[in-house]
Amino acid sequence: MINLNSIIIQVLGGAGASLLIFFSTLVISLPLGLLMAFPRMSKIKPINYIFGFVISLLRGTPLMLQLIVWYYGPYYIFGATLGLSWRVPAIIIGFSINYAAYFAEIFRSGIQSIPVGQYEAASVLGYSRTQTFFKIVFPQMLKRVIPPVTNEIITLVKDTSLAFVITYSEMFTVAKQIAAAKTTIVPLFVAGSFYYIFNYLVAFVMEKVEKAFNYYK
Amino acid sequence: MKIFEIKNCKKCFNGIKVLDDVSFSVEEGEVVAIIGSSGSGKTTLLRICTFLEYMDNGEMTYLSDKIVSSVNDKAVYIGQNTLSLDALNKNKELTRIKSYFGLVFQNFNLFPHWTVLKNVMDAAVSVQKRDKDEVKEKAMFYLKKMGLENKSASYPCELSGGQQQRVAIARALCLEPKIIFFDEPTSALDPELTSEILKVIKELAKEKRTMVIVTHEMNFARDVADRVVFVDNGVVVEEGDAYELITNPQKERTKRFLQKYNE
Repeated sequence: MINLNSIIIQVLGGAGASLLIFFSTLVISLPLGLLMAFPRMSKIKPINYIFGFVISLLRGTPLMLQLIVWYYGPYYIFGATLGLSWRVPAIIIGFSINYAAYFAEIFRSGIQSIPVGQYEAASVLGYSRTQTFFKIVFPQMLKRVIPPVTNEIITLVKDTSLAFVITYSEMFTVAKQIAAAKTTIVPLFVAGSFYYIFNYLVAFVMEKVEKAFNYYK
Repeated sequence: MKIFEIKNCKKCFNGIKVLDDVSFSVEEGEVVAIIGSSGSGKTTLLRICTFLEYMDNGEMTYLSDKIVSSVNDKAVYIGQNTLSLDALNKNKELTRIKSYFGLVFQNFNLFPHWTVLKNVMDAAVSVQKRDKDEVKEKAMFYLKKMGLENKSASYPCELSGGQQQRVAIARALCLEPKIIFFDEPTSALDPELTSEILKVIKELAKEKRTMVIVTHEMNFARDVADRVVFVDNGVVVEEGDAYELITNPQKERTKRFLQKYNE
């Protein structure tokens, strides 16, 4: 007989691995995305093109494939045998760089949506370019990018399941294993419920963040 | 004493001449109105004066500081000679020179994420590095003058257009510039709010503040300005005493332009 409690406990056993991918990716990809947004907007054409191309490659190929490249690449390209200890770093690098590409485009659009009048006012008042960015552009950009960033974060929660491709036992992989062993789909639904609950929390928190920026229009 | 002077200013956009040999100067305590139809180049002229655009050729002086010289028929900016907006923005010399003037925009361009008080104070503190308490006192003084002392904690989005423009004027005043430029300060406002702003500028004129105002308000230019410069097609067509020029223009082109306001 299937015991729901034991299924829940076993599926939750994989949740830690999923959360590790999630939080590591978030912490790395958000600042990395901001750093990538600048060369993407560079007036120096070659830099602009290179970053445009890198971002299009990262957004235009499956994350699953990118994870495979990060994990097996070092062996096939350099003959390096990194073994299993390379798996978690490869996953975090693969996820972070992939998500940074999306965040870079979101930040770029946010920065470019700031009216030119803001820059002109800053220029006339004598602010330096660095001051203009950090005091005037960046805070206004943050407010504008919250909704699309929330979207990406929610997608990230679900994408953590892609780590299965390099045989990493995150929550969904664990659920599939139980489902196969016990010949029941219940574990998959249990895992689905956890993704949903977690994303509900994400949306809740992000809504609070959005509200915190509501003091001005 | 001359506060500002621009000589033989030339500017092209993509090969189209926008300004051709424009010259004018402003004495201390003088109010100069620049009038002309849309597309005549008067806004471009103001943007060149405030370093939002660079000029192709000409000279510009603030007080005794010669900021742009003409060398081999090309404008050379102080501190460097590259001609691009990017270079202008990076020009360290200009940062110092920018404290000579203030600019009030047509669309106010307040910083929406800051309170009214911070909008007025911040540049004085973080650009001019003045003492915070002294600046705050000054900011409150100017806000009071603008009738906005009870709005200091509000955000720009909570204010009317007229109030926002008055904050923008207080912001410019707080930096204690030698001259203030106004770029059609009432064009985004309805008639009621327009008179509110014009009243404020009139007050400033009474205090003998040096100002240059690009405006479409002919009665205002006639009554408040000392001198009027009429710009058309990128050239100064006529220049002279405000009352004289507006009530009794000499040039045919000026007559035709002013006639439209009396119809």
